[in-house]
Amino acid sequence: MSSSHTPANGSSKTTIAAESPTHLILQMALRDVSVLFRTPWIIITRSLAFIIQLFVFAFLISGLIHIPGLNFFEYYAVGSVVATIASISFVIGYDIFEEAEEGVLDYLLTLPIARRQFIIGRALGGAMRAIIYTIPMFVIVAFVWGFNQPLSILTALVSLFLLAFGVTGMSITVAVSVKSANRFDVVLALLELAVSRGSTALYPIAFMPFYVSLFAPFSPVSFAADTARNSLVGFTLDIPAIAGLVAFVVIFLGLGAAFYFRRLEGGIYG
Amino acid sequence: MSNTRLIPLIIERDVRILFSDAFLVAIMFANFAIDLFVTAATFGRLVTGQGENYFLFIAPGSNLITAMVAAFQSGRDVWREKYIKDLTSYLLTLPVQRPILAFSRVLGGVVRSVIATFPGTLVICYLYGILFTQKIFVAYLIVGLFSLGIVGLSMAISAFSSSIEMWVTVRSAIQLYLSFLSALFYPVSVFPRVLAPIVASNPMTWAIQAFRQLSPISFAQVPAGDSLGSILILAGPSLAFALLGTICYIWYSKL
Repeated sequence: MSSSHTPANGSSKTTIAAESPTHLILQMALRDVSVLFRTPWIIITRSLAFIIQLFVFAFLISGLIHIPGLNFFEYYAVGSVVATIASISFVIGYDIFEEAEEGVLDYLLTLPIARRQFIIGRALGGAMRAIIYTIPMFVIVAFVWGFNQPLSILTALVSLFLLAFGVTGMSITVAVSVKSANRFDVVLALLELAVSRGSTALYPIAFMPFYVSLFAPFSPVSFAADTARNSLVGFTLDIPAIAGLVAFVVIFLGLGAAFYFRRLEGGIYG
Repeated sequence: MSNTRLIPLIIERDVRILFSDAFLVAIMFANFAIDLFVTAATFGRLVTGQGENYFLFIAPGSNLITAMVAAFQSGRDVWREKYIKDLTSYLLTLPVQRPILAFSRVLGGVVRSVIATFPGTLVICYLYGILFTQKIFVAYLIVGLFSLGIVGLSMAISAFSSSIEMWVTVRSAIQLYLSFLSALFYPVSVFPRVLAPIVASNPMTWAIQAFRQLSPISFAQVPAGDSLGSILILAGPSLAFALLGTICYIWYSKL
């Protein structure tokens, strides 16, 4: 799964070394994008999960929810796209963990690319592939519910991208902090569950128990869901939520980069 | 050593594998807690179709989902033994007949699952007000019987999946079927007619119905009476899947 080479693999060392940092970062990112799309299993599973959750679960449960002023099916539709992008962004952590286990990281470290560019490229790749992967789902939701304002769609997509970028950083942080494969699996699954379920993506905050409503507004998934919903449905810009998202990206991208950098230079994978 | 003495030893080995990292058991309980006290509690306030009881209506589902995760973890361990740790040859040298070894592995998975859901089952029994009644044993029986089928299924997947991606994909597809195409979140009557046979053949439907029938509260569209009928229906697919898992395990061991 993660043993693919970079697109620059066939080039000479001199040529690569002369390339601009932006180009190298992009090459690293494109490698991660191609890695995900070469594993159809993951795409099939998550797409199936999205379709069943939306068109079976949300559709059926909406029939049981009779809250005036709440179209739960529509509410859940936008939220499920946000939850899906968070879920797919976590996959980069699995790739990084697997690379370390299989020794592919050793190969990657021999590439003539600075560590900083390598790490930024990985995070960017994780976010890019998540957004590419989620766009068809976003289109389905936009089509079914008639979201057609270009600016609203753009704002929603930017918020999704920011969420993906931050979650990628979070996933990298976990991948380089946990050593046992089993532990890594369950910790990442728990984290994914916690940030999605404890957020406003899948249900409004007004209906959460008190102890959840205290934390839910600060979940990055809530920031993205609120921004997307406000722009798509209410045509407004949720500045505090966007600021929250940016803060989340800065913190976890920084943390992820710091942990990853320390592991690489500490020789733990070496 | 007789086969009867060996079965508990094989089960013990599987339980030891579970507890080789107690952190995992704690995380499974954390998953259950999020499912119950976040998701189920919120939907309990949102859904009015089931009166004020919707939280209790879906509460056992959180525990059965944990049982499902734990059961699949057993299958994953079998897969790791085969493809990562290369333990198949060693296991075949054990002085135990292969059918006994295979069935003991299934039973080991069931025991692991019941242990992993032990606190969760207590929580549900407390919520249902049956914590200090004999019904608590029936609750564990339901969890065990449900796990039996899922462990069998997960071991069958392990026999045929050559890559972890394939294993995870099949597992996820089964989890989607068990969670969303069952009576876990909604009564069977809300499904379109075309989906009714799929829902009726889902072990989760009968496991959760059996659990709901333990409650003194009568839920809408859950037949009144004891859980025996639902348990008997649940036993059908569970035993069939357990047999399938056993056969697949023997088949893959011979490779």
